[in-house]
Amino acid sequence: MGEVKLEKIVQPFYEALEEGKIMGRKCPECGAVEFPPVYACNTCGCLHTDWYEISGNAKMHSIVMPAALSSKPDYKDMGKYAYGEIELEEGARFNGVVRGMTKKIRKKIMEEGLLPVEVHAAIYQQPGVDYKTVVFDLDEKYLQ
Amino acid sequence: MSKSMYGRSVSIIGVGCTPFMYTVDNPETNNLTEHELLGYAALSAMEDAGIRATDVDYYFHGQASPLAGSNQLTPNIHCGNWFGMKGKGSIHHSEACCTGYLALDLAANYVASGKYDCVMTGAVEFGDSNAYPNDSVETPKHPYKREKVTMEKFLFTTKWLYDRVYARAMMAPMELIYDDAAEEYVRTRGITAEQMDDTLNWMCINNRRNASKNPLAIVHETYQEIAEQNGFATDLDYLRSPYNPRMGDFLRAACLELKCDGAAAVIVCATEKIPEICKNLKHKPIEILGVGASSYNAINPHFEIRATENAVKEVYDRTGVTGDDLDIFFANDFIITSHLISAEIAGYLPYGEGWKYICEGRTAYDGDKPINTNGGRTSFGHAHAASGLADVYECCKQMRGECGERQVKKLPKTAMLRGYGGAQNVAAVVLKTIED
Repeated sequence: MGEVKLEKIVQPFYEALEEGKIMGRKCPECGAVEFPPVYACNTCGCLHTDWYEISGNAKMHSIVMPAALSSKPDYKDMGKYAYGEIELEEGARFNGVVRGMTKKIRKKIMEEGLLPVEVHAAIYQQPGVDYKTVVFDLDEKYLQ
Repeated sequence: MSKSMYGRSVSIIGVGCTPFMYTVDNPETNNLTEHELLGYAALSAMEDAGIRATDVDYYFHGQASPLAGSNQLTPNIHCGNWFGMKGKGSIHHSEACCTGYLALDLAANYVASGKYDCVMTGAVEFGDSNAYPNDSVETPKHPYKREKVTMEKFLFTTKWLYDRVYARAMMAPMELIYDDAAEEYVRTRGITAEQMDDTLNWMCINNRRNASKNPLAIVHETYQEIAEQNGFATDLDYLRSPYNPRMGDFLRAACLELKCDGAAAVIVCATEKIPEICKNLKHKPIEILGVGASSYNAINPHFEIRATENAVKEVYDRTGVTGDDLDIFFANDFIITSHLISAEIAGYLPYGEGWKYICEGRTAYDGDKPINTNGGRTSFGHAHAASGLADVYECCKQMRGECGERQVKKLPKTAMLRGYGGAQNVAAVVLKTIED
């Protein structure tokens, strides 16, 4: 019997969010963390990974502000926000939402060469859906 | 010295393309069906190759969304008899806006393997209308009537392109398609937001100048003409104005595709079999040297850029072609930034300098670095699955010197077509004229 298993990944991921935990998967061979969680390791090609709770500490490497094309009415519930490349402390990179970002703050970050900026994961309940998701909050030091 | 990626050489011998159009808006085209559009494109390609349908062994059928647009599944089965291929084998495939480029790769592979000698690959899309009534897929549909699809409804359905499991829930993957490439370009090349705005506008101007000379394009009025009609001195003044409103962090309205209806088709043949199968061929065959491929789910940062880098590297490594060899470039630019970033990644325009070439008009049909001579997605139009093969049609016509007023100055010998679509699939197609 090999280590490849037909196991649920998606449901436990979303159920963990209900319990206040943000889960990824870690490769037992190379240590790379997959987020959001999937079966295999995309770094070394290992055929299985194990559950791993992420710290939530991350960096934002790019900043795109929402506009008419790239926003939806429900997103207003998040307040001010932007999109961008997120890198978890554990190494995984993906596209995410960062709350607290404004055009003014972006201008300051870009002019002062502050990228990447620190962000912190948060569990967020979108209006109108029955599941939670993961967003990020800009570190408070950039809000002043 | 370039070489083919395939096990045996495969060449394009015939191309066909409908006008790209809003079929419902014109009494002459209203009520045309998928069968008629693809049938015309396929038969035109056969005519162009100087062959009959019986010479073709197999066909591929591309359509991005046959259920939503045409209310049918397995669309390849329903139309083969329209172009004389009843009883021949076929496959339907869908890779959204990348369909037409991968359509060429599929056909090339079938011939390169030796399974078949001559294959038709075609694609059709009604991007501007759905089968009538357009309320739900369950409602019985009229045999030929169609109904317009609003941009609002179209954008709602584009979420189907994104992974239901994670990408939609995380929101950012669906929204970054619009401005990610522009943001990355500004940040990594060190240009200002204002310079990017002008570059985006100049791509619109260049695309439209190309389309103004193309009878198959959906629009022909140049931005200079539109500017003068609205009291502006120049096209750039017009495009910088509220007549061209900002829709994204960088993008303005003119930077987006004109979704529409159309079909295109290509006939590919084993190069060694051309003398036997195409006795009436009246033009030079164009060899498909290779197709580099890469795909990234939209949850991955800078997915278009990374996938383009991968696909270009693969096709260059395997064919020996470099950016310096390219004489003409096509990019699926349903978001117009694509045409800047992919031309730089391919080495067709120098890294960090491409925006200057564009703003100097050098990438229009009459420049020294022509891009999207048919008008691109913002001016030729975008019939989603069919657009890639429409680019192949235009590219082959340019390489044969058959483009009339919009013929580029130097007859192209080597070309790249960068396909992109489906959140996101990328193909880097390299074509080369076979010399006598």
